[in-house]
Parts: sequence; structure tokens; C-alpha cells
Amino acid sequence: MRDMLKITDLAVYVDDVCLLEPISLSLREGEPLTILGQTGSGKSLLAQAIIGLLPDELRLVGQVEVLGKTLSLEERRALWGREMVMLPQEPWHALDPLMKGQEQVKEVYQLVQGEDKTTAEHKTRLDLAHVGLTENGHKRPGQLSGGMAQRLAITAATAAGANLILADEPTKGLDVTRRDDIVRLLQARAEGGSLLTITHDVAIARQLAGRLMVIKGGALVEEGEAKQILNQPTDDYTKALIAAEPKQWPEPKLAEVGNTLVLEADTVAIERGGRTLFKDISFSVHQGEVVGVVGDSGCGKSSLGDALLGLLPLQQGQLKRLSSASKPHQWLKLYQDPPSAFTSSVSLQQLLDDLVRLHKLDRSRIAPLMARLSLPEGILERNCLSVSGGELQRFAILRALLLDPVFLFADEPTSRLDPITAQEVTELLVELARETGCAVLLVSHDPDLVSKTCDQVIRLS
Amino acid sequence: MKALLLKRLLQLITVVWGVGTLTFVLMRSLPGDMAYRIAASRYGQDNVNSDAAALVREELGLNQHPLEAYWHWLTDLLQFNLGNSMVSGLPVIESVQHMLGHSMLLAFAGLMVSILIAIPLGLLSAWRGNPLDSVLMGLSSAIRAMPVFVVGVLFVLLFALHLGWFPVAGYGTFAHLVLPAVTLALSLAAVSNRVVRDSAKQTFRAAFYQFSKVKGLTAWQTFHRHGVRNIAVPVVAFFGIQLVSMIEGIVMIESLFSWPGIGHGLAHAIFARDIPVIQGAALAMGVVFVLLNTLVDLLCLWIDPRGVEQ
Repeated sequence: MRDMLKITDLAVYVDDVCLLEPISLSLREGEPLTILGQTGSGKSLLAQAIIGLLPDELRLVGQVEVLGKTLSLEERRALWGREMVMLPQEPWHALDPLMKGQEQVKEVYQLVQGEDKTTAEHKTRLDLAHVGLTENGHKRPGQLSGGMAQRLAITAATAAGANLILADEPTKGLDVTRRDDIVRLLQARAEGGSLLTITHDVAIARQLAGRLMVIKGGALVEEGEAKQILNQPTDDYTKALIAAEPKQWPEPKLAEVGNTLVLEADTVAIERGGRTLFKDISFSVHQGEVVGVVGDSGCGKSSLGDALLGLLPLQQGQLKRLSSASKPHQWLKLYQDPPSAFTSSVSLQQLLDDLVRLHKLDRSRIAPLMARLSLPEGILERNCLSVSGGELQRFAILRALLLDPVFLFADEPTSRLDPITAQEVTELLVELARETGCAVLLVSHDPDLVSKTCDQVIRLS
Repeated sequence: MKALLLKRLLQLITVVWGVGTLTFVLMRSLPGDMAYRIAASRYGQDNVNSDAAALVREELGLNQHPLEAYWHWLTDLLQFNLGNSMVSGLPVIESVQHMLGHSMLLAFAGLMVSILIAIPLGLLSAWRGNPLDSVLMGLSSAIRAMPVFVVGVLFVLLFALHLGWFPVAGYGTFAHLVLPAVTLALSLAAVSNRVVRDSAKQTFRAAFYQFSKVKGLTAWQTFHRHGVRNIAVPVVAFFGIQLVSMIEGIVMIESLFSWPGIGHGLAHAIFARDIPVIQGAALAMGVVFVLLNTLVDLLCLWIDPRGVEQ
């Protein structure tokens, strides 16, 4: 087995600050390598450094060997598409928003492979059929779901024949079923070549098998056969990562749920864009209860939550809010992508001050709650872009709890966080909901997460 | 698409009625005796006396009740009859047509030249970055900060009086068009080259732009396939806004270069209280305004059809 890719002491600096500690690895033909680690540990820089896409202000040290030859940046760029390719984290952003999906695949055959129009069209049709996108080829990326967009991106990326694939969090924000599809597709595309995957998702590492490197804070903590490491981890950090998978969470203690009803939904149906997403959904929510909603992407999980908040109209059925004394601002939402729920133009302190002033809140409640949410005092001076995703989501919870919510709709609140942080945030949310008697509607694409945290589960199909 | 056109048609009708009524009311409420002003325009300031004014008043029916006059005007308008000029007696529609044609010529020439300046400079600025970017930024701000007639006067001084390359003012040959068009173009390009630059910079930085190169396309292929269209979306919309706002801004340049356009004509008609011409000119500008807006909307929709397909 030849080495497809060999990296020796590769490190990334900005000025004199080291962003990625020196790392060495080799990727052999037909043997996928997975790099597992928390977000913020410089993993993403690794893929960018290898492919040659580091931002100008970052400095690369070390050697990159592709197919047995040490290559400069220019030489690596010349391999793009034909020999090696990097898959995007966010497929929606990586696809041209104005161009139809099939065009974005076809152009590779035409412009890179030099095929004529008919052949290119034929090959594109076959490719799209292979990933189940025949019906959706004429759509623009904005009209595709996350999973479809990622399949399209992988098809486009590998159309020019590259089989040395670098994938950086290729399944971020995707449903479990979609995630498996993507991983299988990646394996198929890397045939005859190899696959380097960077992820924080233990499940992907397990599915890909091959070799595994566990990285913490930029340093290697464990390396070896994926199967062996995942079954018998020796390092504490590896153990923590594995334990943070929802599948491994402890079974929930049966919680006391209050008898006071907060909300009753009776044969509810919701329609979006002329299509009925679901109908005849009935349930009731009690004080302090955590209700999970599961289902494939696009089945209307988030729409259900929005409808309960009164943000979307119902097509049929009835909603009864039974806590009559509650004010509108006590029905709140936690968003999936924390940075997009905050403005970056003012500090978090300012946001908090505004909230306190608007609702005449008691300031003395803030400090204990912050301690409870493990939010350091200093964080308030920064804006939403300079704190981590986990911190920001905890700040969002703080902001919500200060208003004494009676109902909180948490829309995939942890899907963009790495597993360890995700577990912390989820546990905190559930704990605080029980304490304060706030009902929570938890939408998640991970059935394990829901079954380990929720008192009641609504399944949409 | 259909909805858009229907909406625009309704808008057109409202604009015609609104603009017409407003000019009617405003002109009637101007101080001074209208008959005197019209008589003065017809026969010259020195030959006006109350008899001449009375004659004019009688002939043009100026002593009608305002509501009656409004009614006449409205029914005429419904028959597409804009009336005759009170000064020259010629049909308004003819003079408005002429003036509008001249204005459009100047506006489009100005816009085209401004596009020829703004797009290359904006792209270059986004691609090369500093120091070119900062220099262009300074230059753009300086030109933008000057009123357009100052730029025009400087051009006249340099190219017409000093160098003698082009005529100072007037209309007739291609040479007459150069200075007003370039003046207009510079003041437009001063802003639009920045819009091109911002849009291009954003596109060059976008993940999809990078991904296209990772797929194997060359830099030029990437620009051609994914750059042009994405850069064009905000740029075309902005050119549209400029074109529309130019309809009103062109008055200054037309007056400076004695260009026989609609802005120039409107100013004259106001001095002479030539109400039918004022109404005709204002109406024509309103109609052009809506038509251009519709055109720009359709163009934007063609470039970026995302909104309608959802």
C-alpha cells in the first residue's frame, strides 16, 4: 500500500502564535484516516493547510508529500479536482447559490475533463442518479436540504476524478440517517484513493473504521486502529469523547413532572409552501416537562415549534395555551445556530443590559445564573463572534431564563456544538427546565439524544 | 412575474394620476397672476398689459373654476390628450417626446460610460487590493463630494475653453454629447465602482468561489462561471437605482450644458407657467420612472431567479 499523503511536522502560525501544533501523519491507499477532536483545536486548519487554502495571514511550516513527492503550494493547487479535493463543511455555502445543481457538476466534466456537452450531460445524469438527486438536479442549492446539498457537493467535487479526499466535518448539522448516507458516499468516492476525515463525531469514526488519531488542544493523544481505540480507549480524553455520544449517556432518571398543563395541541396540521408537513398531531405539555420532537430533516420539526410559539399559522387543529397569566415574552425560542441569534455589533453585556432595562429585571439574579451556567464574568465584554459556540448557547439560555419562560422551544440547540459541550448544554437545559418549571420542546435530529433526555417524544414522519 | 407586471401597471396608473394632480394643484397655487406670466412669455416682458393678460385668460380659459379645469384636464388625459403649450401653442406631446428623447440619450450615454469606468476599476480594486483600492476610494469620495456642476464646469474650462477639443454647450453633433455624458458618468461611477468592488470582494471571498477552484476549475473559469453572475446581482440593482435617480438629477447637467432635455425644458416651463408642458414633462418622467424600475426588476429577476422559484 503506497502512501497517498504524508505530512511531516506540519504546523500553522499567525505571527508567532501557534494555531496548530506540529503534527505528522500518513494516509495510505485504501485505508481511511479519521482525526477526532473537539472544535477549536485547529483541526480545520489542518485540511486547509494540506490542500493549500490557508488564509494569507497564516503561515505554514512543515512538509506535505502527495503521492511520494514533496509539493509546494502551487504544485498542490495544480492537483485540485483531478487528484485531490477538499469537501466543504457547509455545503450550502460551497455551492453557487445562483446555479442549478446539475450545472455545477456538468461544468467540471466540460471544463476540467474537457468532455463535450452531450457526454458531460450524460455523465452528470448518471452521477446524480447514483446519489439519488435525479429529481432535484434542476434546483438551486437554496432549494435543497442539507443532506442533498452535501451529496451534490461531493458529486461535484469528485467529478474531475480526485480520489484523495479531505473531508472536514462532512456531516455537520445533518440527521443521523443522512449522516450514514454521506459517509457511505465518501467511502465509495475514495475508492482507489484514500479519505482523510476530520470530525468531532465519534459515530463517523466508528463507521469509517480504518485508522484513527485523537487530538486534544492541537496535540495528539492517541493513535491506532479505529475499532480498537473506540472499543478500548486508553486516554481520558478519548473516553470523554466517546461518553459524550448521546448513545452513551446515562439512562434518564424518571422525573417528577408537574400536573399543571401549559399547552394543549389538538389534531394540529401545518402546511409550508403548499405542502402539508404533518397532520393530526395531538399532545399536551406540562410544567417542567421536556418534550422531544424527532423525525427526518424537512418533516416539519422546527415548523411545529414555531407554530406552538405562534410564529406560524396552523392549517388545521387547535392550540390552547393554558397558562393564562403568561406574557408573550415568556414563550421563547433557542436557536440552532447561536451566532445568528445575536448581533455582533454590541457586547454581550450590552445585550444583557438592554434586556434588563426592557423588562425591568432584577440584576442580582444574573450572577448566580451565570455561575450556574459556567459563564465566566469576562465573557460579557466580548461580542458574540469572539466567544465559543457552547458559551454563546449557554448565554442564550441565560437570556431566556431571565424572563422566567413558561415554554421554551429549543431548535436543535446543540447540533452545532461538539459532543462534550453538547452534552453539557443539553443536561443543563433539562436540569434548569425542571427546576424552574419551564416546559421545553426539544427538537433534535438525534433519536438517542431525545430518548435520553425527554419525558415525552413526538415522532413526525 | 405576472404578479410583478400587474403590480407595476397599477403603479403606473397611480403615478400618472398622482403626478398629474399634484402638478395641477401646485401650479395653481403658485403666487402671481398666471395670465400675466404667460402673456409675458408670449409677447415679451415689455409688451404685457392688462388687456393682453385678459386676452390670454379668455383664450386659455384660465378663469374657469379650478375643479372644472381639473375635470377637463382629467378627461383629456384619459384620451391621451396632453393639450397644447400655453406659450407656443404646439401640442405638448410633441415637445415632451423630443425632450425625453434627448434626455434618454444623455442618460444612457452617461450610464454606459459610467459602467465602462466602474466595472473594470471596481474589479481591479477588489482583485489587487491596496494601494490601488485606497487611491480609488479617495478619488471616488472626492468626486462624489463635489456637486456635479462643479465637475462639469471644470471639464468645460479644461476641455472646451483651454484645449478646445469639444464645444462648451449645445446640441447637435456627437462632440456635443461627450462632455455632458462624461460629467454624468464620472459622478455615477464614483459611487458604482465602490459597489462593484464590494460585491466582487464578497464573491471572491465566498466559499463557493473557493470550492469551484477546488473542483478543478481554473481562476478564469471560476470567475466566468461563478463570479460574473454573483457579482452582478447587487451591481445591476444599483445601476437600476442610479438610472432612475438620474431622471431627476439630470436637470443640473442639462442646464449647465444647455442640453435640450426634459429637465431643462421643465425648468423653463415652470418659469413661464406653461402648465400643460409642466404636467406633460412631469407625467413623462413619472412614466419613465415606473418603466425603468420594471425593466430593472425584470433584469434582476433574470440574473437571480431565487425569489420566485421558491
